[in-house]
Amino acid sequence: MEIKNPFFKKYWLPSILFAVALILPLVITQFWIHVFTEILILGLFAIAFNLIFGYMGQLSFGQAAYYGIGAYTTGLLMVKANWPFLATIPISMITAGLGALILGCFCVRLRGIYFAILTMAFGQLVYFIIFQWYSFTGGDNGLQGINPPPWLFGATSYYYFTLIIVTIASIIIYAITESPFGYTMRAIRDNTERTEFIGINVYRYMLINFVISGIFCGLAGALWGPFNRSVAPDLCSWQHSGHPVFMAVMGGPHHFLGPMIGSVIFTFLNAFVTGFTEYWPLVSGVIIIIVVMFMPGGVFGVIKQKGYFSKKQAVNNTTNGVGH
Amino acid sequence: MEFTFIFSQFISGLTYGMMLFLVASGLSLIFGVMNILNFAHATLWLIGAYLCFTFWSLMQSYEVALWVSIPLAALATGAVGWISEVVLIKHIYKRELHEQLLITYAMALIFGDLIKITWGPTDRLIVRPPIIQKPIHLFGAPIDSYFIFVILIGFAVAIGLWCFLKFTKYGHIVKAAVFSREMVSALGIPIPKIYTWVFTMGIFIAGLAGGAQSAIGSVTLGMDMAIIIQAFCVVVIGGFGSLMGTLVGSLIVGEIFSFAILLWPDGAMVLIFAITAVILIVRPWGLFGTPLRA
Repeated sequence: MEIKNPFFKKYWLPSILFAVALILPLVITQFWIHVFTEILILGLFAIAFNLIFGYMGQLSFGQAAYYGIGAYTTGLLMVKANWPFLATIPISMITAGLGALILGCFCVRLRGIYFAILTMAFGQLVYFIIFQWYSFTGGDNGLQGINPPPWLFGATSYYYFTLIIVTIASIIIYAITESPFGYTMRAIRDNTERTEFIGINVYRYMLINFVISGIFCGLAGALWGPFNRSVAPDLCSWQHSGHPVFMAVMGGPHHFLGPMIGSVIFTFLNAFVTGFTEYWPLVSGVIIIIVVMFMPGGVFGVIKQKGYFSKKQAVNNTTNGVGH
Repeated sequence: MEFTFIFSQFISGLTYGMMLFLVASGLSLIFGVMNILNFAHATLWLIGAYLCFTFWSLMQSYEVALWVSIPLAALATGAVGWISEVVLIKHIYKRELHEQLLITYAMALIFGDLIKITWGPTDRLIVRPPIIQKPIHLFGAPIDSYFIFVILIGFAVAIGLWCFLKFTKYGHIVKAAVFSREMVSALGIPIPKIYTWVFTMGIFIAGLAGGAQSAIGSVTLGMDMAIIIQAFCVVVIGGFGSLMGTLVGSLIVGEIFSFAILLWPDGAMVLIFAITAVILIVRPWGLFGTPLRA
């Protein structure tokens, strides 16, 4: 049977995923509804991270900072100022975006390992500020009692709310990656020098991309607080910055939905494994090693024809041989 | 503030700085030679501390228990490092940056949990031998006598590493490998073997540091995560692959930590990260490093 509808032909995978996500709460228990809400939130976090990693070609090890800024903005406004949840969401995106703008100014000057370390250093800076500022952020106690409004109190309603927000945000991010801006980012990733030579202000483009990523990390963080009823400084730690990295690597950073697929696998496994052992870090470490050693390119990389990736691998190997 | 107080604070900063140096020197060496940023470095350091505790508790009836346990812990940790290099790290030198980071990150997670499985969540405390139980007085300031020992180990390792790099054949090879590994391998030197031993040496020093740490205070889970980030700051400040830079960076961070905790306790870590960030922005290759080949 041939598919006639051109929209469905192009977007069959996200359509199916969205349809499954819509029906899912009807067939699963409340515990798994919670898990899938978490999958959506962390998936958005990973998709936003992948703007920098997959599309700009730089590894940020500090995106949790913007996620945390978003989460704390929502938490503080709701707990200390009694703002309604919906009103705090845009503010969270703005504060996270501002944070990304200020810190990004410095980060995007650097490349490669230095980019990774500076983003991590700034992430830790944010973490320690939140951790130490007891009077304002509650320090390591975090903030409790971030209750969503009554109409979002149930697990199912919060799930659908998250699904709508994450879907809209993903469509916007997808539109950005398919715009001329998105293709400029790919050009910068593939050859920064050449992109500069054709008259593109690489610094400005990278900074804008960094800020966009920060804004959507902040949105994901804003969704987290009321979902978990609390926020803690751990949300900003470098360990938490590692999560979107391996979600993207696991799903496949060269496909838009890769990070979301990574989030599905990883969060699902997390919920499953923590059911019978407390040694989730051990299990996740083994999973990461297996994925990196045997599945470079992630799930989408394995699904795609092997020829494409082995060619790309060969190119990478030669550049590595010369560069290091 | 009185002089004696400032002096004792200075010594404790120096001790902490030396501990950081022992951790960061291996980190910097491994990065300089193999371009691998080892997230698991401090976790191996913690393994050294726990191993030292175990060796000590097996021999605690003897007075020399601690002094035998520290080198034993260093050797055992070095062996763990050698195994991880041969089994895993060996295969990722040619991989991309994010893959290398993820592998060492995963190693940190795995080793962290193995520590938890082996030694459990209880804090471990070594009872010090009588010789280092009492403080000694220097310029009228009471100084923990064990601190002197840690500082001496730090300087001994610094001098030892310097002599190794300066005077021995293998030291020259390592230095050349930092500069250009293609050239070194073109000269017929077996690079994989050099890599294995550089990694093992880095982890050996980390194990030695862990052993020394175990008698400073109690050994607890999660110590590794606190020190690894500071060790990163040290190598960034000093410059990757530079021994001198790592030493200076360690002392800067140790002393800042020691004095900031008096003046502005909440800000010590924030200050260190701010300095690290400034260095990265102004001089990404650090105070003593050389700009990386592109």
